[in-house]
Amino acid sequence: MSVSEIALAEGPTANRRGAEFRRGLAASTPMLLGIIPYALVLGAQAAQRGLSVVEVPLMTGLNFAGGSEFAAIQLWSSPPHILLIAAITLLVNSRHFLMGAALAPFINHLPKRQVFPALFLMCDESWAVGLADARHRAATGMRPAFSLAYYLGAALPIYLAWVAFTTCGAALGPVLGDVGKYGFAMAFPAVFLVLLRGMWKGFAAARPWLVSLVVAALTYLVVPGAWYVAAGALSGLVAAWFLAGET
Amino acid sequence: MIDPMTVLAILAMAAVTYLTRIGGYVVLRNRTLSPRATAVMEAAPGCVLISVIAPDFVSRNPADLAALAVTVLAATRLSMLPTVVIGIASAGVLRLVIG
Repeated sequence: MSVSEIALAEGPTANRRGAEFRRGLAASTPMLLGIIPYALVLGAQAAQRGLSVVEVPLMTGLNFAGGSEFAAIQLWSSPPHILLIAAITLLVNSRHFLMGAALAPFINHLPKRQVFPALFLMCDESWAVGLADARHRAATGMRPAFSLAYYLGAALPIYLAWVAFTTCGAALGPVLGDVGKYGFAMAFPAVFLVLLRGMWKGFAAARPWLVSLVVAALTYLVVPGAWYVAAGALSGLVAAWFLAGET
Repeated sequence: MIDPMTVLAILAMAAVTYLTRIGGYVVLRNRTLSPRATAVMEAAPGCVLISVIAPDFVSRNPADLAALAVTVLAATRLSMLPTVVIGIASAGVLRLVIG
């Protein structure tokens, strides 16, 4: 096979990947609106707690899980209590187990050298759009249902924005004041609500969600800390288990 | 600029977080799930999403609750970007109006 033949053979695939990547980029844009203000706030709070402009991107670039970083910063002391911070990180991020499990059937066909780096970029947003897209493609008969290029197109801007804007927040912290007061906080629930609408399969299938919502909300009101995510998610799963036995 | 204990704490966080990210995939990859377990796994993503945003449903700020109602309504009819813009705008405006 000559070079031009190889180019011809690979051309359409490369084009398709490029188009899929751009489709992912487009999907990430509305989410950046919600992520950037959060990133600035986290960076500013981390700077207040004594983390330097080098340590903040080290944390947000290696850990890349906003909820656990907010929680860790609240608990930060000098020197930091490493076991406590690791335990809180595990608690806040335990939802990743469920997320990875939900994604597993869709990424099983991919080689591990692609899966393990791709999972590093799995955050609430990239997972949700990646899974929603895979389910949508599966429903329309497309194989493979999971588009890695789409997922990376959605995940990479989120990662880069998170690291870049937490660093900006750490550098500019004292100037910014309270970014949360302008209404940007609503971007996060807005994204999630649209994703839930996409997963909607009728009221009966959504009953575990209702259980999760009620239990998570009550736990949030009664128990301090991030327990509400674990409590809400687990009670919804228990409800799904019992409801599945009905039929 | 860089404190060794801080770096150690960050590395501990990063290791724990990455394990949570690959855990679900590594453990459930080659399993065939029962119908009941499949039902649970199908409900799981929605359960996690709704749990993460549950605090917004019990906000003590009436402006945020009203904005959430507007956002829920938008989410049932519109695509991602208009819903996010409406959510942010309604929260910003309602906070100014209601306080």
